[in-house]
Amino acid sequence: MSAVGLAQPTVVERSTPMAGAIELVLDHPQAARTATPGQFFQLAVSAPRTLLRRPYSLAWADPARGRIGFIFNVVGAGSAWLASRHEGHLMDVLGPLGRGFEIEASGRPAVCIAGGLGVAVFPALVQALRAAGRPVLFLQGARTASQLLPAARLDGADVLVSTDDGSAGLTGPVTRLLASAPLNDADFYVCGPTPMMSAVIDLAERREVPLARIQVALETPMGCGVGTCLGCAAPRRGGGYLLTCHDGPCVRADRIDWRRMEDAMHA
Amino acid sequence: MPDQVNLAVDLGRGLRLRSPVLVASGTFGYGFDAPQVDRGALGAIVTKGTTLRAREGNPPARIAETASGMLNAIGLQNPGVDEVAGVYAPVWRSWDLPVIVNVAGDSVEEYVAVVGRLEGVAGIAGIELNISCPNVALGMQFGVNARLAGELTRAVRSATTLPLMVKLTPNVTDIVAIASAVEEGGADCISAINTYVGMAFDVRRRRPVLDRGSGGLSGPAIKPLALQAVWQVASAVHIPVVGIGGITTPADALEFLLAGAVAVQLGTVNYVQPQAAREIHDGIAGYLRDHRVPDVRSVSIRPINVVSHV
Repeated sequence: MSAVGLAQPTVVERSTPMAGAIELVLDHPQAARTATPGQFFQLAVSAPRTLLRRPYSLAWADPARGRIGFIFNVVGAGSAWLASRHEGHLMDVLGPLGRGFEIEASGRPAVCIAGGLGVAVFPALVQALRAAGRPVLFLQGARTASQLLPAARLDGADVLVSTDDGSAGLTGPVTRLLASAPLNDADFYVCGPTPMMSAVIDLAERREVPLARIQVALETPMGCGVGTCLGCAAPRRGGGYLLTCHDGPCVRADRIDWRRMEDAMHA
Repeated sequence: MPDQVNLAVDLGRGLRLRSPVLVASGTFGYGFDAPQVDRGALGAIVTKGTTLRAREGNPPARIAETASGMLNAIGLQNPGVDEVAGVYAPVWRSWDLPVIVNVAGDSVEEYVAVVGRLEGVAGIAGIELNISCPNVALGMQFGVNARLAGELTRAVRSATTLPLMVKLTPNVTDIVAIASAVEEGGADCISAINTYVGMAFDVRRRRPVLDRGSGGLSGPAIKPLALQAVWQVASAVHIPVVGIGGITTPADALEFLLAGAVAVQLGTVNYVQPQAAREIHDGIAGYLRDHRVPDVRSVSIRPINVVSHV
């Protein structure tokens, strides 16, 4: 480590955890010890013409083996470059950064709701929730069956799935699974596309679930990742903005102005 | 030739810096974040643009990556000068690193009020006058008009005893005219340049990527443009010029010194390679040693017109 949080870990494994996704495993003992579920790393890329680091949530950490994992899909030149890394490649990584999920030890149920690649943040969280004694109900939505993260990766959770094309589980958006979820007394953890998270919030409000019981992992465009560029603004309830990198990425849902958030990320 | 080279620079009115490497406004907050950047390599920090009242900034999306660059339209999100003077400056006072406050406003009165609030506040080493913000309604009016730029500089000059750096926008037809006007208005030094106005479009959503439409382009993409602006300005004025624009390597920084700058500010690179400040500092030192150049000012490939500051 040449400076706080900067490291050059080696890729020790590359795999395809589900269709359309890549998983990179890095040998990074320090981060494996210190990173918490929901925190993120800034991964440098060297693709032609790209500039900024790419922020990725920690998928999981294994302190015993000194390894951390990231799960992502290819959306542009930066992620394509990362997806072409293989065993033995050196990476340039900054992190862990930001605020992860708050996890309270109790016997109350935890409901995780993942849409699409939003599932990438959950393996670490499920493990931490189970370690805190929480029963975990896991609701996962994807376009099609092959794009679901296998339930074995969410060990200890009761997993229900939905797919847009009906190829597995319930047909339709992941919010439909919520209809059968126990809402009273549960804490909620949500990560997915902004419209999906917004739909979950709508439903929660209609069912009178206090939004403070819902934590979301935000995704916005991001520059520096450390709070200096002010590029990753997320509309704050009551006016102004939070910074995804500094105040999040994991925040309680009542801190976000979801109407303005949808305008910004989805219009 | 001694092993020790002289990296110190004098930007005028007592603003003497141990290193010619500064961090640019808007890329380093108020100096409290980004612990990855080695403070020991820096000559000074230039803060986020600060206005009289707190500003929320623009709606997202505020940034967009472009080819070897990025667009930003942050909109001067800042806590306002009272917070800066009352809360931040007392902390800066204990630092061994000078902090230059970047000041922005919509009117001469606002600039003067902000600078007035900073006058006599311990912990503030200088003012950088932002007459060139492309991302707020009235931000750039002063920077594109030589007469207004000169008048604003003069008004601010008489409102502060602090060293005064004026940051120029490149979005003008004749940057030399603006530079000369701010020199005449009483600027101690000039920083050049701020971002270039640009756009990017989202072809799938059929709209500009940035909520505001346009933004300021920074990063390696603008370096040749910035070098030409610095070359022109440094040829024309008699005060020190601090070069800014797409610097990511020691060689980039040296290009600005060759063009006539006496110091540089690092901006976008801080987001990508936090160790750049240290590498560039050490790279400049190594260059001075290897080329037997006595100090940073002597790197310029022609005499700098600076009259007094040595």
